[in-house]
Amino acid sequence: MIKEIVKEEFATDLAEGAVLVDFYSKTCGPCKMLDFILKDIDKTYGEQVKIIKVDFEAYPDLIEKYNVEGYPTLVMFKDGKEISRKSGLQQKPVITKMIEEAI
Amino acid sequence: MTKTIDYTFKEHLIERQAKAEAAMLKEFRQGDYTMEKPLIKYNPYFVNDLAAVMLFRTEEETAITVRVVGKTKEADIYHTFPKAKEHIIPIVGLYSNYENKIEVYPYQKYNQKVVHTIKTPEVAGAKLVEYMDTTPEYMQDNVMFLCPAVTDLAIAVDYAGDVRLNFTVPMVWDIKRKPNGNLLIGTERLVKMPYFVTGIYEMSPVGKIYKEYRVPHGYHHDQITLPNGDIVALSCDLDNGTVEDTAVIIDRDTGYVKRTIKFANFIKPGAQKSGSWSDEDWFHCNAVWYDEHSNSLTFSGRHINAMVNIDFDTEELNWIISDPEGWPEEYHQYMFTPVGDGDFEWQYEQHANLITPLGDVMCFDNHHYGSQNPEKYLSANDSYSRGVKYRIDTDKMEIEQLWQYGKERGKEFFSPYICNVLYYNEGHYLIHSGGIAFDGEGNASEELGPFAQLDDPSVRLESITVETVNDKKVLELKVKSNYYRANKFPLYAKDGNNLTLGKGQILGSLGETPQMDYDIPAEDTGEILPDFHEARITDEADMFTFEAKFEKGQLVMLLLESDKETRRYFISTSKGKRGAMCTGTFLPEDDRDTRTVITKEGMDGEYRVKVIVDDKKYDTGITIKA
Repeated sequence: MIKEIVKEEFATDLAEGAVLVDFYSKTCGPCKMLDFILKDIDKTYGEQVKIIKVDFEAYPDLIEKYNVEGYPTLVMFKDGKEISRKSGLQQKPVITKMIEEAI
Repeated sequence: MTKTIDYTFKEHLIERQAKAEAAMLKEFRQGDYTMEKPLIKYNPYFVNDLAAVMLFRTEEETAITVRVVGKTKEADIYHTFPKAKEHIIPIVGLYSNYENKIEVYPYQKYNQKVVHTIKTPEVAGAKLVEYMDTTPEYMQDNVMFLCPAVTDLAIAVDYAGDVRLNFTVPMVWDIKRKPNGNLLIGTERLVKMPYFVTGIYEMSPVGKIYKEYRVPHGYHHDQITLPNGDIVALSCDLDNGTVEDTAVIIDRDTGYVKRTIKFANFIKPGAQKSGSWSDEDWFHCNAVWYDEHSNSLTFSGRHINAMVNIDFDTEELNWIISDPEGWPEEYHQYMFTPVGDGDFEWQYEQHANLITPLGDVMCFDNHHYGSQNPEKYLSANDSYSRGVKYRIDTDKMEIEQLWQYGKERGKEFFSPYICNVLYYNEGHYLIHSGGIAFDGEGNASEELGPFAQLDDPSVRLESITVETVNDKKVLELKVKSNYYRANKFPLYAKDGNNLTLGKGQILGSLGETPQMDYDIPAEDTGEILPDFHEARITDEADMFTFEAKFEKGQLVMLLLESDKETRRYFISTSKGKRGAMCTGTFLPEDDRDTRTVITKEGMDGEYRVKVIVDDKKYDTGITIKA
């Protein structure tokens, strides 16, 4: 499942299961490319992993809270706890590995 | 469609040198060249424009002595070449913009000398030296070789401060001299921005390249030769999407990788974070050292503030030299407790670790940020850098600081990046602070030299190299630029032959450039990529480079279309600054410039080069053959 962040639901979304958060910017080429990859990954994993997209410019409080230093940044959570993080555009196998470690 | 973007085919330096050498030898064999009237070829290998080759014959087998006449007697450079009838003699150590006198005579027959003149042009590096403060008795016929860190290329400086070697191609990273006299240095062939190059050249100071050891997916920072001749070179963990966290062991004969050492197998990424840390560049290995006595490798991790020692065979962690603050508990068993009566300080964002013959550990402690704790980070103006030597006891896990040089000089000697130390003997060291930068108001720059230079025309870059003997300074060289490392050696190798004829070898593999297997929906315009992108392709035998301007945030993909397949490569248009820029030699001045290198490995046949920009697909009119 892939969706844009709903701020009020974010804490609840993170709290349970495998959640991959994509901190992105609309003005970032690698973020646009990563979007294609995440959509493809979403087809593979479906309900096994939630993919939540967070606009870097729109949510500075979350950027600070999660120490995100640039975009794109992928942060993998399991039951609310961060278990891995990658910054920059990543190839599908790298993202798949992050997810496999969380589900 | 007849229009194309700009296209150039660039021959490998080894190919160009082979042709030039063959032409030189043909000219020599067609003429009657004697010691009195030799054939002289200035910079025949295109690399060192303070070098030449002199060719002549003698009737008898004769050893030949060459004297490159210095501006003072102490600056003379001599070398005697073995007996031969055909003499093909490298001439090194010429001066810039000077009528260089070269004396040539049969060995021990000075009265038979003949003098030849080689007039040189003004070379780029000649005006960069601010001063050299040493004595000819100390320096002898050595030069101080400085490796590039910005756009100023490698130079070598003699005791008087004169430049006696000037490279014209951007060979980068560490330089080491092999026992046979040849030099090992990174190639000028950029394979990935900002500074990963295709591998390592083995060459002689006259500029002749004998081998290129290609390193899959890019070489950076440092290499060391093992006792069996294999080379340990630093590379990247492509599978993990990270950089500067891998070493490869390269076979000395074939150039192929025999073994890969991934640092994530012994240090968990993120276990420690220096001030310059990032997810991608979590270790930032800038040095590798092999210690034969303990059969171990030591890696310098700038972004973990640590020197990490592992067993060469098992790759198990032996020890870590680092400020323990902030390290997870599981690593504390590998860390040391400071002892001794003298001063002790940990190193931060250090470079160029080495182990001395007595087992002590040295490094250049950049002391960048000066703490593991962000709340205690030092400003650049309050910072200092130093060479430091530690003695470690691996039974008691104790560490003692034996020596340091540099702290007392404060920000004047502060380099937040690059630099090195060398060990000559107990008490006799080189300390090279090559990354000094000041803004127009005299403040130590918070930015690394290459970035500071791009952002602020008033910035002042400096490099200070010092040698000490028992804490007495015996040499100080100051140069108006940043230089990655310094190494001292004579230009003529005492034990080497200094020039071997024949075509060089290109060894090993570049690896296959990772593709992006996603088809971006785009309208095929059927047009050539618009001129305002200023696109161009530089094609080579084993790779090609696509350069073009794109605006920040554009989605850009390079396509290679053949009858059999389409290969897709993402072009990044992001403009973020890295926390490290140890060689800014390849940085563009315009941040819209992109530079993408595709190796030809995995390709077969002819490919039309196309480009997707956002939702439009363009042709380049260029076909690449692999």
